[in-house]
Amino acid sequence: MKRRILSGALLALAACGQPSGPPPPPLPPQDAGRDVTADVSRDTLPADRPAPDRPLVVAPGGGEFQPPRATLRRLTQAQYRNCIQDLYGEDIAISRPMEPDSVVDGFASIGAAEASISPRGVEQYEALAYDLAEQLLVPARRARTVGCTPAGPIDDACARAALAPAGRRLWRRPLSPEELDALVAVARRAAMTLGDFHQGLGFAFAALLQSPDFLFRVELGVPDRARPDRRVFVGHELASRLAFFLWNGPPDDALLDAAVAGALDTPEGLASEARRLLLSPKARRGLRSFVTEWLELARLDDLTKDTQLFPSFSPELGPAAREQTLRDFERMAFDLEDDWRELLVTRETHVTHRLAAVYAVPGPARETDGFRLITLPENSPRRGLLGQVSVLALRSHPVATSPTLRGRFIREGILCGFIPPPPVDVNTALPAPSMERRSLRERLQLHLSGEACAGCHIRMDPLGLGLEPFDAIGRFRRMDNGVVIDASGRLDGMDFRDFQDLTRRLREHPDAGSCMVTHLYRYATGHVEGDPELSEIDRLTAFAETRGNRLREIMFALATSDGFRRAGPTAEMP
Amino acid sequence: MMKPFLSRRTVLRGMLGAGFVSVALPPLEAMMNATGTAYAGGTRFPKRFGVWFWGNGVLPERWVPTTEGAGWTPSPQLMPLMPLRDQVTVVSGTRVMTTNDSPHGSGPAGLLSGDNARGGSFLRPSLDQLIAQEVGGATRFRSLEVGVQRSTSSLSYTGPNQVNPPETSPRALFNRLFGEGFRLPGEMATADPRLALRRSVLDAVSGQAGRLRGRLGAADRQRLEQHLDGVRGLEQRIGRLEADPPNLAACARPMAPPEAFPDMEGRPQTRAISRAVSDLLVMALACDQTRVFFNMFSQPVNNTLYGRATAGHHQLTHDEPGDQPQVHTILVSIHEELAYFLSALRAVREGDGTLLDHLLVLATTDCSFGRTHAIDNYPILLCGGCNGAVRAGVHYRSTSGENASRVSLAILRAMEVRATDFGVGPGRVTDPLGAVLR
Repeated sequence: MKRRILSGALLALAACGQPSGPPPPPLPPQDAGRDVTADVSRDTLPADRPAPDRPLVVAPGGGEFQPPRATLRRLTQAQYRNCIQDLYGEDIAISRPMEPDSVVDGFASIGAAEASISPRGVEQYEALAYDLAEQLLVPARRARTVGCTPAGPIDDACARAALAPAGRRLWRRPLSPEELDALVAVARRAAMTLGDFHQGLGFAFAALLQSPDFLFRVELGVPDRARPDRRVFVGHELASRLAFFLWNGPPDDALLDAAVAGALDTPEGLASEARRLLLSPKARRGLRSFVTEWLELARLDDLTKDTQLFPSFSPELGPAAREQTLRDFERMAFDLEDDWRELLVTRETHVTHRLAAVYAVPGPARETDGFRLITLPENSPRRGLLGQVSVLALRSHPVATSPTLRGRFIREGILCGFIPPPPVDVNTALPAPSMERRSLRERLQLHLSGEACAGCHIRMDPLGLGLEPFDAIGRFRRMDNGVVIDASGRLDGMDFRDFQDLTRRLREHPDAGSCMVTHLYRYATGHVEGDPELSEIDRLTAFAETRGNRLREIMFALATSDGFRRAGPTAEMP
Repeated sequence: MMKPFLSRRTVLRGMLGAGFVSVALPPLEAMMNATGTAYAGGTRFPKRFGVWFWGNGVLPERWVPTTEGAGWTPSPQLMPLMPLRDQVTVVSGTRVMTTNDSPHGSGPAGLLSGDNARGGSFLRPSLDQLIAQEVGGATRFRSLEVGVQRSTSSLSYTGPNQVNPPETSPRALFNRLFGEGFRLPGEMATADPRLALRRSVLDAVSGQAGRLRGRLGAADRQRLEQHLDGVRGLEQRIGRLEADPPNLAACARPMAPPEAFPDMEGRPQTRAISRAVSDLLVMALACDQTRVFFNMFSQPVNNTLYGRATAGHHQLTHDEPGDQPQVHTILVSIHEELAYFLSALRAVREGDGTLLDHLLVLATTDCSFGRTHAIDNYPILLCGGCNGAVRAGVHYRSTSGENASRVSLAILRAMEVRATDFGVGPGRVTDPLGAVLR
C-alpha cells in the first residue's frame, strides 16, 4: 500500500547504519463506518448492505474512498482455459499455445488490465479458435453444441439458434441483433462455400472466440445514479467480475440468469450469488489462482538447480511443491475454515514421496502415490509456508540460498513492505568465503555496514537469515560452510531465536492481516491500490479480523465491497 | 502438399541442402547489378534489421577493444568475433542518458526506446518495432521475436505495455515459420477456399471491435487498436499465402529441430538451443519471411547456469570476487553464440554478397558493468553491412560520453526510417552518430 510503502521507506532511511529500526506503528483500528456483517458460512444469511445508489461510506481518517478506473482485462491463459472447459466440458483439449500472461507488480491479473494482444498472440488465438471450433462441431459432439438439426447446408434459423446461446456464454452477455446477424452471415458464407452447415458454423464460432468481447473482459460500468462522476458495475458486467474473481472462470448460466433478472443489483441478490459462488467447488480453483499469482508459483516450473550439488532435485520437484502449497491453502480455506495465518506456523502439510525425501519425513512410498496429509514431528525444525520448497527453492539461487531474496519475499510478500530497487553504481560483490567470514551470514554483514546498502538490506537480510537452516532446494541443514547456522534475528523490533520463532512472530505481525487483504484486493481489481483506496482496504482488514481472517470471508467481503463494485471517475470515458 | 516446380533454383537448393555451407552458386548475374546488391531492374536486396540481446552486461575492461578504427584489436571477450571483424563495428564510450533508476531496465529502455521504463514497461516503441512499422508490411511476418532462454519476457515493445513475447522453443519456431503456410519459391499454392473464409472471420472480428471501441476510454482504445492492428496484419498475411512467395535463391526449408531440449544435469542446453534458433532465424531471413527480428538470447537479471559455472550468471556478476573469471568465461561463450549467428548469416549467398551484407544487427546488453549496473560506456555492436549504409568493421570510441541515442538514430537512418529525432528528455537526440554511417 502506498501509505505503508512510504512509512516503510522512511523507516528504512532512518534505520541506516543501525542494527534494526523500531517497529512500524500498528494500524489504528478502523471504525469501519458501517457494519459489514455478511457471513458466507453455510447457515448464516447475508445481512443487508447498502444499495449501489446509496451514498458511499466515508471511512474515518482515510479520506473518501475513491474506486479505481474501469479497464478492459485480457483473459489470462488459465481464464481462457476455464472459459472453454466450464462452458463446453473438460474433455475439450486446449493444446495450442496462446499469448503468455503478462505479470505486472507480481500479478498476471494486474498485467491483464494493461496488456494488449501482440501480433503473434492474434495468430495464436486464431489457430486455437479453429482448433476449438473443430472440436465443438465434430459429429459426435455437434448436437450438444448446436442444439438444432439444420434443414440443409444453409439454415440461418438453426445457425442463429446455436449462436445466440453460445455468444451469451462466451461474451458473457446477450448479443445484440446486429452482432448476431454478423455472425450468422459469417456462418452462411462459409457454409455456402464449403457446402456444409456445421463446417460453416465453425467459422462463426471462430469469430466468437477471436473477438475482443471474448478475449477481453469488458467491464466498464454504468454511470452511478447517486454519484454521476462515478461508475458502478451492474448486471452482466458484475456477474463476469464476480465469476472471474471467485472462480477464475466465466459466469455459469445461473449467474447470467441472475444478471438478467437484476438480482445482482440488490445487496441481497449480490450477497446471495457471491455466497453461492464461494460454496461451489469452483471457488477452490479461484483461491488456487490467487495463491499461484501472489506467491509466483508459476515460476516453479522453471526452477534451475545444480543437480551435482542437489542430487535429490529434479524438474518435477517444483510442480510438486506448488501443489503442496495450493493444497494447504485450499484445506485451510475450505475444509478447516480457519485463520489463514495458521499456514505460517502449522506442522500439517501435504507431501509426495519426493517432497517427503527433501523434508526428511516419512511419506508415500512412490511418487505415483500422490499426496498425503502429514503432521511434521513436534520437534521438527520445519513448519509453515516459509518452510516449504515453494518458497525456499524459488527464493534461492541455483547453487546457494539467498537471504536477500528470501527476506524480500517476507517483507514484500507477507508484510506488504516496500523495498526500492538497489542503487546503481554500487559495488555489489560479496567477499569470498575466508577464515574470518566463512558463512553467508558473515559475508552478508557487508550489506548491513555500508550506508548505501544497509537502508534497504536491514529490512530484508535479517529476515532471510532466519531461513538459512534450509538450503537452496529447501533441505534442512545445521552448518553453512563449516559454521553452525545462527538463524536468530530481529523482526521490526521483536527478537526471534530461530526459524520457528520467526514464523510465530510473522503470524502475529500487525501487517500480515492487512497484507493478505491488500494482495486479494490487487488480484480482484487488477491494479495496485492508490492512496484513496486505502480506507477501503483498512475497512476490509478490520472486517477480516472480526471474521477470524478466514479466506472465504475475506473474499466474500471483497466481492460485495465498494472497491469491487465501483469504478472511478474518468474524464476520458464517454 | 503440392510438389514444387522442378526449377533450376530447386535443383540448386537440392545441392545446397539446408546447411550453411557457403557454396558459390552458378552465376545468376544476369539478374544482378554490378555490385550484387540488387536484382535486375534495380530492386535491391531487402535490408533487414535485428536486435541480439543478452542480459547482465559485460566486464568493460575486457570487452572494449584497445585499438580504434578498422582492424580493431579484439578484446578478450570479443575474441570469438575475430573472424567476422570486418563486419562488426564496435561502439564504446557512449552513455545512456535517461535516468538510471532501474538496474538492468534503464539501459535497454534508454538505448532501444530513448526513454525511461515505468511499471516494468517501455513507454515508447523499441527500435525494432519502429523499423517494423516501415518495412514490416512487405513480408509474411511483420517482425519475429525469438529467444534462447526460456522466458516470455521481452524488450520488444510496440507501445506501452504492448510487448512482443519471444518464441523460445526451436520446434515451435520451426512450425510457425516453415510449417503450414510456408511455401518455397516456385512452389505452387494449394487452392484453399478456407483462406478467404478466414479473412472474412477476421473482418467480422474487426467489425465487432469497432462496436466496442466507442465505449472505451483512451487507454483501452489504444490497447484495442493494437489488437486490431494484429488482426489486420493477420488478414494481410493470409492474403499473402495466396500470392507467390519471394523468389530468393538461398531459401530452403530447413530440417526440423528436436522437439525439446531438456536440461542436462540441471543446466539448460543454451548452446544447442541458440544454434537451433539461429539456424531457423537465418533461414527465415533468407526466405524473406520477415525483415525485422529480436532475439532475446538471455534476459536481464537471468540466473542461467552456464557450462561449469558454480552459480547463476546474475549472481556471479554481483557476488563473484576479484576480476570475475567465471563471468568472463560466460561472456566469451555468449559472444561465441553471436559469432555463430553472424557466421551463419554470412554463409548465405545473396547475389555476389551475403545475407550479412544486407542486414544490420544491433547486439547489446542491459548495462555496461554488470556488478554496478552502470550505463555509461555502453556495450554496442553493429554487425553486418546494411547494404552499405554503415561503416562496417571499425571501433568507434566516444571520448566525450556521447548520448547512446545517437547510435539508435543512426540505426534508423541506416534502415531508411524517416526520423528527425529519437527519444525524449535527456534521451532525445537530433543528430545521428555519423561515425558509424556511410
